[in-house]
Amino acid sequence: MSTTFWVWFGIAVYIAVGVGIAIMARRQLGAGVSEFFLANRRVGGFVSALTYSATTYSAFMMVGLAGLTYVSGVGALGFELTYLCGMFMMVFFLPRFWLVGRKYGYISPMELLSDRYQSKWVGATAAILALVFLVPYTAVQFIGVGYLMNGISQGTIPVVVGMIIAALCTIAWSNIAGLRSVAWTDAFQALVMVVTSAAVLGVVVASLGGFSSFFGKLESASPGLLTVPTAKGAFSINMFIGLALPWLFFLISNPQVSQRLFIPKSVTAMKQMLGGFLVFGFIYTLISVLWGFSATLLVPGLEKADLATPTLLTLPIIPMGLAIVVMIGITAAAISTIDSILLTLSSVWARDIHKGLINPKISEAGELRVGQWVIPIMTIIAFIFAWWAAGKTGLAFMIAPLSSAASAGLLMAVPAIFGAFFWKRATAPGAIVSCIVGAVVVLLFQVTGWKPLGWWPGTWGFIVCVILFVGVSLSTKPPREKAEEFMDYLQKKLKEGKFI
Amino acid sequence: MSKFIWAWTWFALLLALDIAIPWFVLTRVERVNGAFLFWTVWVAVAIISVFVIFLKWSEMEQ
Repeated sequence: MSTTFWVWFGIAVYIAVGVGIAIMARRQLGAGVSEFFLANRRVGGFVSALTYSATTYSAFMMVGLAGLTYVSGVGALGFELTYLCGMFMMVFFLPRFWLVGRKYGYISPMELLSDRYQSKWVGATAAILALVFLVPYTAVQFIGVGYLMNGISQGTIPVVVGMIIAALCTIAWSNIAGLRSVAWTDAFQALVMVVTSAAVLGVVVASLGGFSSFFGKLESASPGLLTVPTAKGAFSINMFIGLALPWLFFLISNPQVSQRLFIPKSVTAMKQMLGGFLVFGFIYTLISVLWGFSATLLVPGLEKADLATPTLLTLPIIPMGLAIVVMIGITAAAISTIDSILLTLSSVWARDIHKGLINPKISEAGELRVGQWVIPIMTIIAFIFAWWAAGKTGLAFMIAPLSSAASAGLLMAVPAIFGAFFWKRATAPGAIVSCIVGAVVVLLFQVTGWKPLGWWPGTWGFIVCVILFVGVSLSTKPPREKAEEFMDYLQKKLKEGKFI
Repeated sequence: MSKFIWAWTWFALLLALDIAIPWFVLTRVERVNGAFLFWTVWVAVAIISVFVIFLKWSEMEQ
């Protein structure tokens, strides 16, 4: 039977297992918004760790990061590990998000901002930021799946068909049981991602004579890729900071991951989530980067670096069955990220924009219906963007830089989030102005390609954003009563749980 | 200095090393035991630091 048949067969099995898990999750589904979007804050440590991992790590890793490594070398490792080092900030933010989420019943991170700053407009501004900048990030996942299915099937499955399959799975798994179906399918998909990628890397490294021989060949074939900046000039300090800065704050700037901080059922589950994710992230990052390096040895000279993974998977050294399983693993990585983003965006729209600004008296059932409608609408918007971007070439349209560019916009909410937890003098006007102006600066610089002093759009946007946040906050009146009540509660509880 | 300040200072130091070592110390080392090894060990240290902190967290009444 042909490769195309087996690719379709693999996809069918994957979809069937995913749907089965989602339907099982639905049996546990209770009523209400908190239940649908947060699984009633009762998720265990194991599933929390895997859903956090699957939401964070996407097609970006085995396709985008591998592609970036292929073309830019070891700097890609530093860039991605800087994100993982940024997870150090979880020791501050995880207990804080978790505690106030329980105390005040927040559904989304934006609701937290609205309440803390005593202004619906703060939450709405951060919500719009998320709705705008998560579109390209979601689109990147669709592109990754499209490239992959197209590559493995040797062109018989068009890129757009792969993207349609990803879109349909996403809509189904987000809607069947909300966070319960997303978290359970995420857990399944995270295991598939890491096991399949480790297996295929093992096969490739073995074919190159083992790790020692692999590294030796790398040093002699492409020594320029093992240093920064590379021999070809990639990964200057400015490029590194431009890519890594948005990544460093990913854990709080991206609402689909910061919303996960509300869900562990206990402190023990929280610890398991954090520890499990760090181990997962370390392993998966090394696998993805080594995979990219192996592509430089086995399939050099590709015109489009994001095609390194699909091309590598079609080599005769990789058994067809394994290539298809890996394709499923990467597809799982993409879909588990998209459905989490869409579920978060639906909660953000329903709670922070629809209920917050348009119809404050809406019932809980009505709010839920609004949220469920947002999922297909946002999927279509991201799909159209993906279709457009998939036809483009150049560094800006590679998966990794496109993902980082999206996070550069989301980075503009970071000062407001820091202020909410650590600065009583922070104000709503400071948060709103810094988010809006910072985002405009990022968009403007991204669209024009302007990089004054060689600094990237996210770097400039962040500088402007921090200055405005501090300046405007100092010249406006803070919500003192709320700030004191919020922070005093945290101080008391942080001490009780021996948090720092 | 409180644990809170210590933790932020340690994190800032890690970030400073993230730039300083690969670009200023290892920039001519075109081998696996250059920037590749540094970043791998560096992030392992960061991860261990997180474990050291969060393993002290204690369960609380809800």
